[in-house]
Amino acid sequence: MVFTTAINCIRARGPDEFWRKRQIFRLAAHYLGRRRNCYSVTIKIVHRALVYATKGRHLRKEDMKSLHETRITAGCEQHNITFKDFKEGLARCDILLNRRSLADLAAWEPYSFKALTDIAKQRLDDDGLSRSK
Amino acid sequence: MAALKRVQQWATFARIWHVFDASWQNPFESAELLKKYLMGLHKPIYHPMNDCGDHVIVINSLDIALPGDEWKKRVYFHHTGYPGGATWTLAWDLHKKDPTLRRYTMERLHIFPDLNVPQSLMKNVSNQIRQIRPVPKRLDAYSEKEVKEFPKIIDLPKDYILR
Repeated sequence: MVFTTAINCIRARGPDEFWRKRQIFRLAAHYLGRRRNCYSVTIKIVHRALVYATKGRHLRKEDMKSLHETRITAGCEQHNITFKDFKEGLARCDILLNRRSLADLAAWEPYSFKALTDIAKQRLDDDGLSRSK
Repeated sequence: MAALKRVQQWATFARIWHVFDASWQNPFESAELLKKYLMGLHKPIYHPMNDCGDHVIVINSLDIALPGDEWKKRVYFHHTGYPGGATWTLAWDLHKKDPTLRRYTMERLHIFPDLNVPQSLMKNVSNQIRQIRPVPKRLDAYSEKEVKEFPKIIDLPKDYILR
């Protein structure tokens, strides 16, 4: 019995062995010693590296978030307002800037950032909220 | 680059010198405060790989105040590396030996036991960091007259022995 449909692809192992291995070796081109020369070692290391890369994509986002928060906190301190109050005040004014824009403003546009802190402070005072010190 | 921008650039990246009076301050709380200045966490240009920390001069480190009975209970451990080379030093003992103790290398932290700071360092200072807690006034700092005129709650009996 001869199958002529897509079911053949399940059993097919892809291209020739040489090219299959070469795909993996190319990912390991910058490793040293047997890590780049022996396939049985290379495949383990490459799999691990790909896992790290996947995790790293999430970690990078967290790292950047914490860095932006540090910078905004530093900027807020110069104007006597805490980061928490600052976010609250901006949210109440419908100023929906993300952390990255706020951190950029704090570093590169100090006067714009000061205006934002003034807005947040004024809003908190108008709403009768006591600012934490 | 315009002159104003140039000065702004210098001002941004210049290292600032702060002075902190450690008298009657809790060193563990002060460390949290000073860490911010030493690492540059108070600047919006902070980055972990960016060397933007400031200098901090700590004066009166002889007069720090540890909370509770920490002077008697806190123990610092040191091992010389040889067998039997372990030593344990109590906090009060260590403070008596060296009141300017720093662990590891904090090159931008300058600690002095009293007010005698070299003029070469003092002339750089441009900011004073606010103390965390108020300095209490001791009884011996009050004058005789003030102590006498302090409002009394009760009159002590004649035969009461004051020590």
